[in-house]
Amino acid sequence: MFPLKKLIILAVGLFGLTSAKSSTGNSVLVVVEAAQKDDFSIFFDGMRDQGYELTFRGPKEEAPLLIEYDEPKFAHVIVLASDTKNFAKDITPQSLISLTHLKTNLILGLSTKQTPLTSLASEFGLIPPPPGTPLISYFPKREEPSTLIPITPKVQDSAVLQSRNNHPIWFSGSPHALGNNPLLVPILRAPVESFASEVDGGSPDAIVDSADKGGEGFWAGSQLGVVTGFQTLDGARVTWVGGVDVFSDEYIQKQSSKRRGVQSGNRQFAHDVVAWTFQESLVLRIDKVEHHRVNTTEPRDQYTIKDQLEFNAYISKFNPKNRKWEPFSALKDLQLEFTMLDPHIRTSLPAVSGTPGKYSANFRAPDRHGVFKFVVDYKRKGWTALHSSTTVAVVPPRHDGYPRFLSAAWPYYAGAISTSVGFFLFSAFWLAGEVRESWKRPGKASKIE
Amino acid sequence: MAPRAAQIQPTASSAVETLWKAYNDGTPNRLKFIDSFLFFLMLSGIVQFVYCVLVSSFPYNAFLAGFGSTVGQFVLTASLRSQVNPDNKDEFKEVSPERAFADFALGSIVLHFFVYNFLG
Amino acid sequence: MLAALLSTLVLALSAQAATLKLQSPKLVVTDSMGTQLRSDSFSLSKQVAEAVELGAKDILKMTFQVLDQETGNGVQPHQTFLRFYDEKTNEEGIQPVRVTPGGKAKFELNLSKPPLSLPPTPNGDPLKVSLIIGTSQYDPISVELFDLVLPKSQPAPENPLESTFHVLPEIHHTFRADNKMPPQPISFAFIGIVLAPWAILLSLWSQVVPKPSRLFSPSILPFVASLGAFEGLLFWYWVDLKLGQVLLYGFMLSLPTFFAGKTALASIGSQRLGRK
Repeated sequence: MFPLKKLIILAVGLFGLTSAKSSTGNSVLVVVEAAQKDDFSIFFDGMRDQGYELTFRGPKEEAPLLIEYDEPKFAHVIVLASDTKNFAKDITPQSLISLTHLKTNLILGLSTKQTPLTSLASEFGLIPPPPGTPLISYFPKREEPSTLIPITPKVQDSAVLQSRNNHPIWFSGSPHALGNNPLLVPILRAPVESFASEVDGGSPDAIVDSADKGGEGFWAGSQLGVVTGFQTLDGARVTWVGGVDVFSDEYIQKQSSKRRGVQSGNRQFAHDVVAWTFQESLVLRIDKVEHHRVNTTEPRDQYTIKDQLEFNAYISKFNPKNRKWEPFSALKDLQLEFTMLDPHIRTSLPAVSGTPGKYSANFRAPDRHGVFKFVVDYKRKGWTALHSSTTVAVVPPRHDGYPRFLSAAWPYYAGAISTSVGFFLFSAFWLAGEVRESWKRPGKASKIE
Repeated sequence: MAPRAAQIQPTASSAVETLWKAYNDGTPNRLKFIDSFLFFLMLSGIVQFVYCVLVSSFPYNAFLAGFGSTVGQFVLTASLRSQVNPDNKDEFKEVSPERAFADFALGSIVLHFFVYNFLG
Repeated sequence: MLAALLSTLVLALSAQAATLKLQSPKLVVTDSMGTQLRSDSFSLSKQVAEAVELGAKDILKMTFQVLDQETGNGVQPHQTFLRFYDEKTNEEGIQPVRVTPGGKAKFELNLSKPPLSLPPTPNGDPLKVSLIIGTSQYDPISVELFDLVLPKSQPAPENPLESTFHVLPEIHHTFRADNKMPPQPISFAFIGIVLAPWAILLSLWSQVVPKPSRLFSPSILPFVASLGAFEGLLFWYWVDLKLGQVLLYGFMLSLPTFFAGKTALASIGSQRLGRK
């Protein structure tokens, strides 16, 4: 019965899911214990259908390396070995961080055991509970144990999850509290009634005592995350998964004991997580920026103060279905800053209707001169961060760039011209006149008489 | 005796009148020609200055150019007058009146060049 | 996997779906002095109609007992939480309630020493208070009890990067005011005033001008004409030309001017000296 089910599910999957290639490459390294590899076969097949090439490695094996000669060997890395306490020499928190600087995307699995990855999670702003306290929920009433929790994501959860059906996502593992770092992208939150506690029933008094200890002593409620993403500012994405069983075959094939015939949402969830983390969905880039004076087309490296300037940005979004970058005009809150040490002008950059992907803004250069930058800095939860900075100089008008022939100066023009004309007439009469007569004194003439 | 006594009355108006009569009688026409040009330049400069103070000094460069043209021309014309005055012949032995006029013309052209440059 | 499924099925069939109930649920609001401000009972089936309001130093006390509905015995549930939830900001705080093994539960909220889990209420919006009880072998309970209005508090501390993830306020540059120009008719009138001294000049000159008898003689005219040409060139420079051009034309014009000048002044000089 089971193999048949698996085949049916695979067929449905192939039909339903479209194959998508990531925008940054499709080589994936999966770090998983050899014994557990078969538990995730549907997950791996799903990724192969999405177009990824998988390479497997045990956590203690030496090869293949993550980074060789300062170059990342794989575009993406998944660490499903969430219980391993000792990794091989090249898998360390530092090497994982340098992978993100090298634009490699990571999916890292946590568990209730303390592993090197648990301390790394704190660096990302996640606060894991004490070891040995998995997430427990008595809601909804079900036959499965309290550590196996169906989570139905709500509408206000992130845009990472693309499907909006009501299929529950089965989860078991460790939750984490979220810090207030805006780079965190919560993908799946814990249910309201859940909390972290010891497996064997735990004692209610211990719970109350740990809560009285201080804010971080108690993990409960929907402020906890179960699968959380992290978008770095240079583009790499890291997803922390509280329990890797959410990708396992068992949970993908699980039927709810309460609601007969309701499929688990784990397959779609795994697909969405992989699509977001491996740069398929919500990926933007700026294709080109240009700037010029209004009514001209040539950019200049020098503008005059109080010039009317126009700035255009062309933005596209990656479409995983046909693996192309397509112009994207749906950004409503893009802003442009004209900055010299501090923004002098900040204006909105609306989309131009008629040209897909083009965003344009007009403004007047300030009457300060100096070296300015056109800065586009767009960061939103879940989306790639867009950043572009173009430097131009703004200079005062040239000596012949000022307005001339102003009406306020007419009398001065008249004065200068009349001096010129007067000089000319004076010289004409002076040169032309009879010399001797005009030198005579009038008084003398009368006296002679 | 009597006419002389009448002439020596020292009232202010008669001093001005005497001055004016002496000027009128004693100055050759050529010099009076120069003096009227000087007077014209002075009036022109005063009017431009009044406009600047009362109304607007906004294109300040235009004010400086216009006012400067009257003042500069006044200076050049005054120096021409003193050089061609026959009474000053002993002062300017090497400078003939023609040479003085040539200097005057060159100076005026250069002055007008700067004035139009600055006038804007 | 088969074994696990079978065992959970067996467990499910064996466990009775038992229910819990609350006995004598009560909430009391007192102020810091001890005087009772409000006393109410709450229930799992109906929300308290009026919102509970607390001042800055008031104390809210809730007491109840958790009993098995059928046997009436006290139950100490694994999870007895009070959830404070702000709908508008989506902030949530969960506070566990201490329950004795006999099921007696007591909760105290003292606003002069608020628990860290209480969500901030910067706008004074009401918090929804719900009771969550979960334990194995009983049906779980999650019920909204009442609305709680707290005094305004400081907002939650924000990460300094947070504001860059939202729309920032627009900045406009205030330009220095353009120079104001006087009204054109005034400037126009002053043109006339500037040109008025011409009347005086011409009237004076009419009396003392030396007669221009030699104006059109061939020795004088070229010089006068070239002076006029220079003035014209300078006017043209003011209107249209560039510096390089006017210097070039001026240089070209200066040569004939020089020669014309020499001729003119020589003839005047000879006239002054010769005829004397």
